[in-house]
Amino acid sequence: MWKKFHRGEVHDSLRDLVPAMARHLLGRAPKPTQLQAGDFWALREINFQVKGGEALGIIGPNGAGKSTMLKLLTKILRPTRGSCSVRGRVGALIEVAAGFHPDLTGMENIYLQGSIMGMRSSEIAKKIDEIVEFAGVGAFIDTPVKRYSSGMHARLGFSVAAHLDPDVLLIDEVLSVGDMAFQEKCIERMKLFKRKGVAIAFVSHNMQAVAELCDTGVFLSGEVLALGPVQEAIGTYVRSASRQVAAPRGAAIDIVKADLLDERMEPAVTVSPGAELTLRVTYCVQKTIMNYQLVFVLYRSTDGLKVYDGNLRSEEIGLDGLAPGETFTVDFRFSVHLVRGQYHVGSYIYHNPTLSQISYLVPAGLFTVQETRTYGGGVADVNLTCGDIVRTPPRSG
Amino acid sequence: MGFGWAIFMPALIIVAGLLIKLAMANVAGKSLHPSDISSLMVKALPWSFFVGAIGFAAGSLLSNIALVTKVYLPREVFPVAATVAQAFDTSISAVVLAIALPFLGVTLSWSLLWVPVLVILLFLFTTGVGLFLSCANLFFRDVKYIVQVLLTFGIFFTPVLFDASMVGPTASGLLMLNPLSPFLEGLRLCVVERHNLLEPLMVAGSHGHVLVWTPWYLAYGLVCSLGGLLASALMFHRLEFVFAEYI
Repeated sequence: MWKKFHRGEVHDSLRDLVPAMARHLLGRAPKPTQLQAGDFWALREINFQVKGGEALGIIGPNGAGKSTMLKLLTKILRPTRGSCSVRGRVGALIEVAAGFHPDLTGMENIYLQGSIMGMRSSEIAKKIDEIVEFAGVGAFIDTPVKRYSSGMHARLGFSVAAHLDPDVLLIDEVLSVGDMAFQEKCIERMKLFKRKGVAIAFVSHNMQAVAELCDTGVFLSGEVLALGPVQEAIGTYVRSASRQVAAPRGAAIDIVKADLLDERMEPAVTVSPGAELTLRVTYCVQKTIMNYQLVFVLYRSTDGLKVYDGNLRSEEIGLDGLAPGETFTVDFRFSVHLVRGQYHVGSYIYHNPTLSQISYLVPAGLFTVQETRTYGGGVADVNLTCGDIVRTPPRSG
Repeated sequence: MGFGWAIFMPALIIVAGLLIKLAMANVAGKSLHPSDISSLMVKALPWSFFVGAIGFAAGSLLSNIALVTKVYLPREVFPVAATVAQAFDTSISAVVLAIALPFLGVTLSWSLLWVPVLVILLFLFTTGVGLFLSCANLFFRDVKYIVQVLLTFGIFFTPVLFDASMVGPTASGLLMLNPLSPFLEGLRLCVVERHNLLEPLMVAGSHGHVLVWTPWYLAYGLVCSLGGLLASALMFHRLEFVFAEYI
């Protein structure tokens, strides 16, 4: 499907309509499926299908068209070209608290929001205790929602939607407001939906949540840039998002290039836990300096978590006071004690006397860890094995 | 004020109308007749319904921006809900009116059977106008100013405070072209004058005979309300898909 939008102002007063109509009558009006000045494709050539029991993660930068896509699916917007269809009862969490009336109490709003989303009032009445319980706003349920905090607002909204019993669930970045415990609860709820055979489309900037919930992922930026298994899509997105940033040339020491290599000294792409990797960084000295550190930082790409931050001191490895023009290469060896996911390393040079970063290259290398041993993911691979087992038979007597 | 609000607006129109009637009676050197008051009341109520419903319906889509852009639901709900809410208010004042009318000399008659017909037609007409204006207001923000002006001065172009026949034969015919006129005049005739709306009615005035009613007025009202509702519902339905984009 395709969707066209217009940048800037559209004529929205009768005064502006008259010239527009005159143009129309003279046959100079452009065809609706073509682009004219100021128009752009918010989405072009999007094709995908999600079946019951599957979850599709939609990721991409701001303005990529993620919300537009969900709005097309909910029929709030209509595609300019092509078509999209959703079979069954749709639960859309575009903005969970959209239907709330500020002057009504939490309880009244549950009924209002529920009916807007297509629940019968008998159905709501049956689930009302569950909804209040899930939202965790029990003490304030008879308070007007205008007095709620934004977190409580979102919790109540999500809670109503979570009890909707849909066939298709469309979720647009609704978890960001809730606290950690609530986010966890929401993810669990969505997993439950998935097990029940609900088709889910999930828009989020929380890559960990996407990776946890979804099977397939689509990386969107006006058009589909990647569509496939969720880790691959996230990987592509992370790679494109973490564009290499390097300090401008002319620092005391430049980072010329960096390669990430595996045990056989070939470029590392996908590795297993326990692998030994080498980050080979080439530096070029511009100015003689003393007392600096070559910093090595390991990040989890999906959420930017700093997994490891260590350094080599110049005086310890004998690199103090090198002459300008000299080039040197350092191998950073490290072992991958990590669970599955996307990771990248960054290389920095830190100058101790001036307390400043004089050069950096991020990401200096990217890699994917693959394993199937852990159940819910995590960060570190602690190499769990089965130790001694002591069994005590039940005492007979 | 609770239910008081429902009566406040029509009551205000009735008091204003009484002052005007009193002034006209004084100028003509006549006294105010109870049927003048009852006909004024019968017409003030539907007029206040129309004004209130249109006022709310026209802005109903814009005042629910959050819902229009974030949730899919049939958007007809907003203008129709505004009209229905106003109809509910009006029904409260209609009860008060029904109690008051017998004291002003209105008695039961077969012609009262026309009241539900006219009320339903008026409701459908108002719904149609509400759908059209809410939609127009979404695309063109200056529509609401036009609506405001029309509703303020519309009372002079609609036979509310006076009867259509009072303005003479030609002007009366023109006045009846206002789609609201057949409903208001019809209600007055069948309630106060006990006139069967399938029969024409002429009265002798100072400038010759004036046609007060013909069944064609009824037909005109029917066409306006059903045709208007159908046309605006179709338009609304066709444009509904782009609401979220243009709002």
